[in-house]
Order: sequence, then C-alpha cells, then structure tokens
Amino acid sequence: MLLQRLLAGFLSICAISAAHSADLLDTVKQKKELTVGLEAAYAPFEFIENGKIVGFDQDLFNWIMETTAPEVKIKLLDLPFQGILPGLAAKRFDVVITALTITKERAEKFDFTLPVADATTALVKRKGEKSVINAADIAGKSVGVQAGAAQLKVLQAFSDKLVAEGKPAVKIREYVAYDEAYADLAAGRTDAVAQSLPNLSSLIKSRPDIYEIINQPIGPKTYFAWAGRKDTDSASLVKFLSAGIAKAGATGKLKELQMKWFGFDMSVPSDAVPAPAM
Amino acid sequence: MLASGLLDRLTGYVPFLFQGALVTLSLSTGAILIGFALGSLFLAVSEKYGQEGVRLTPMQNVAGFFVSVYVSFFRGTPLLVQLLMLFYLPAAFNINVPPFPAAIVAMGLNSAAFQCEILRAGLSAVSPGQLEAADAFGIPKKFIFRFIQLPQITRAVWPAVVSEAIDVLKSSAVVSVIAVTELTRTGRQIVAGNYRPLEVYISMGCIYLLMTGAIFLIGTWAGNRLTHRSNASSQIVQGLPGRLS
Repeated sequence: MLLQRLLAGFLSICAISAAHSADLLDTVKQKKELTVGLEAAYAPFEFIENGKIVGFDQDLFNWIMETTAPEVKIKLLDLPFQGILPGLAAKRFDVVITALTITKERAEKFDFTLPVADATTALVKRKGEKSVINAADIAGKSVGVQAGAAQLKVLQAFSDKLVAEGKPAVKIREYVAYDEAYADLAAGRTDAVAQSLPNLSSLIKSRPDIYEIINQPIGPKTYFAWAGRKDTDSASLVKFLSAGIAKAGATGKLKELQMKWFGFDMSVPSDAVPAPAM
Repeated sequence: MLASGLLDRLTGYVPFLFQGALVTLSLSTGAILIGFALGSLFLAVSEKYGQEGVRLTPMQNVAGFFVSVYVSFFRGTPLLVQLLMLFYLPAAFNINVPPFPAAIVAMGLNSAAFQCEILRAGLSAVSPGQLEAADAFGIPKKFIFRFIQLPQITRAVWPAVVSEAIDVLKSSAVVSVIAVTELTRTGRQIVAGNYRPLEVYISMGCIYLLMTGAIFLIGTWAGNRLTHRSNASSQIVQGLPGRLS
C-alpha cells in the first residue's frame, strides 16, 4: 500500500533524526529552552496570582534553574490536569513541573524526580458540619475528588475499607478540577472533599469561614514529585532536576519554601525516589 | 461578604478576565475568517451553480466527494476531539504545533464545514428559473453571479452566519484543553486561587454575554445594510421594484 510505505518512510525519517540528536538535557541546554507542562489550578503548588503562574513548585523549580542553568528559557504550558500526563507522553512538553503524587501506576510509565512535598490525603468538610466528625463518618456520604488524581484512588481504597468493616460505601463524585469539588461541598451537594494536606492548608487559609479540615489521613503516606518521560532520552533531565531538589533540601531552601507556601514544613526522602505506597 | 470587599476583588481579577476575553476574541475572529474562506472555497470547487441539468465535470465530482467527506467528519465529530487530534497527532511525529495556532486552525477547519453548508443552502435558495431568465436576457455569467445570486445568497445566509459566529465564540471555551488560556481557563485559574467560584463565573458569563451581544448587534446592523444594498442592486437588474424584498 502506498499509504503504508509513506508512513514507513516518514517514521524512519523521524527515527533517524531522533538517533542523531543528543539526549533531552543536552538538547534543552543547546536550544536554551525548556517546555514545561503544569496545571496552574492547584494552589499552593501552582496557581495564578495577578495573572502570573506562581506557587511552591514554581519557586523551587525557578530556584533550581537559576542556580544551575540560568541561560535556559522556560516555557510554561498550563492545561487541565487530565491532559498533563498524556501531553508528556505525547512529547508536547519536556517535563511536568506540577504536584504529582507518586503512584505505582504512574511510576511504571513515567520517571519521577525526588519528592518535593508530602501528599498524604485528608478530608475537608463544611465548617461546623456535625454529621462528619471523624474520617470514617463519610461512609454512605458523597465525597468529591478530582478525576484522574491519586486522591481518587486513596478515596476508593478508603471506601473499600469501610465496606469491609460493614459500613456503606462512599459515594464518590469526580470533578474536572478541585475548585468545582470545593464549590459543590460549599453548596451542600457533597459532604467532604478528599485532597492532600498541603492543598487543604491553602484552602483553609483563604476560606476559613466555609471549610474545616478533618485532620486524619485517609490513605498511606505518599509524596508529590515532578515527572519526565521514562526513556533514556529523558533520564538525564530528570536526574538533573532531582539533583536540584536534593540541593534545595540540603541547603534548607526546600524547608523555607514549604514554610512560605504551606505554613508548615514536612520531611521528604532526599536520597532516593520512595517506592510508591499505592 | 461585604459589598466593598467584593468590589475590591472584582477590580483585582476582572482585568485578567478581559485579557482572557481578548484571547477568546482573537481566536474566534481568526476561526470565523478561516472558516469563511475555506467554506466558500469548498463550496466553489464542489458545487456547479447555474442552470438545472448542467453536468458536473469529473473534477467537480471528485472535489464534491472530498468536500462531503470533510464536512461529515468536521460536523460529525466533537470540536474537542478535533482539537486534541490536531494538538497531539503532529507531536507524535516530532512536529511541534504551538497551542494557539493549533486552536485557531482546529476551530477554523471546524467552522469551515458548517459555513460551507450554510453557504450551500443560500446558493440553493436562488431558484434556477431566475438564472435561466437572466441567461435568456443575455446577461453575462459574471453579472448573473454578482447581481442576481450574490445579493440573494447574502440575504439568505446572513442570519445563519451571525449565529455561526456566536457559536464559534462560545465553543472556543473548550480550547483550554490544549493549553490556550482563553476566558474560561482564566476564570478557572482565578477560582483555583481565590476559591470563590460564584462571583468569578458570573463575571465570566457577563463577559461572554457582552461579546456575543456585540456580535449580534453588529451582525443585525450589517445585515440591515446588506439587505438594503442588495435590494437596490437586484431591483436595478430586474427592473421590478420591491419584488424580492
């Protein structure tokens, strides 16, 4: 078939050009440009303030780039969370600098950097709501979570645990972004939202009149990290970022930024990417 | 919630919403223009306008086939799917299409399919009898199009074109999935930072309404002018005052 031959020819050209180029980190340094994918709707990790993308990840990432490769220009692509990992896989960007929980499933397909923050999931409820006091009280109630997020899995596992204890399952409601989940919680359509503690701390800081954290983790200890593609081409870039994160940890920069953005600091493993707990 | 606090917040983020609206506007304008140019081109190559019984050339038959495939594809699949394809498929072949051009092109290609059919409907609204009559009077072909078909087509399709323009503007809300920060995405970003969805989304809706309202008003105004003009020109040719109005 003509079409097949054309396609084969096209692919072989792509393969040749790929084989000739150096690895991704070299290419980035040579082109002096790094394309980054992120979801700027995840305060305090990355969000928009006065028209600019700011947050914990941005501060840390900029610090790493400025101290080690100041000549590289950063191009930020902001897109919905569900498009982040597919976009990375499709090579739309070189690396993802957005808070990603390290999970088994993701670690199989993507290469994680060293963790940047604790990602253990907790619950938030409407302030003063009496029907939900402990985490286990969400049995049989509606709980919101972001579609495609690791917190969804945590919530599912927690629901299964409740069912095993003879309680009714949690009614899980999935949202495109967390802001909708919070809005529905405030409106009374759900009874809680499952989200990581650092994120919830930011929510509580802005709207202490509406929300209240249930300070009990509902899942295993997990961590947030950044990710690159899992191939030899990307390996050096991920290593480069990990080295930067380790340096930030050693010099106290990491703690400083955690205090700045979360209001508390947390210990994260700095020697190796922790094995995913889920 | 104090009213003054609300006003303070609004002055804080509404300028950014307007920035997003500017992106939405430029996207939609580009898409409508591309759609109109491509749509009329597709119609021109695939449709034999003129008297009944005129045979299509083989080239036109082939072109007509491709245009109908094109139209079925772009009208038959969601804009979201087309956007994702245009954004992610080239990347698989190491071709990097930046988000903004990808969005304009996808929206333009999509609108071309709709505008092609809108124009086709307008073309078929001119009865063949008029063209035969004009031909019998010895009016040259280019004048038949210019003075008899075009004014009637314009009048017939104008409301549909305006409504298509409004449609394009509204559907631009989905392009945020390929990292274009237009109005809807800007609004969501603001909500993710201040956790106040209600007021941000209401402001966002008002800005959309302003833009679609402007298109509607300008469209109606231009439509009225067009109708007057074209009435005048068809009256000159036909010599029958007011017959077509």
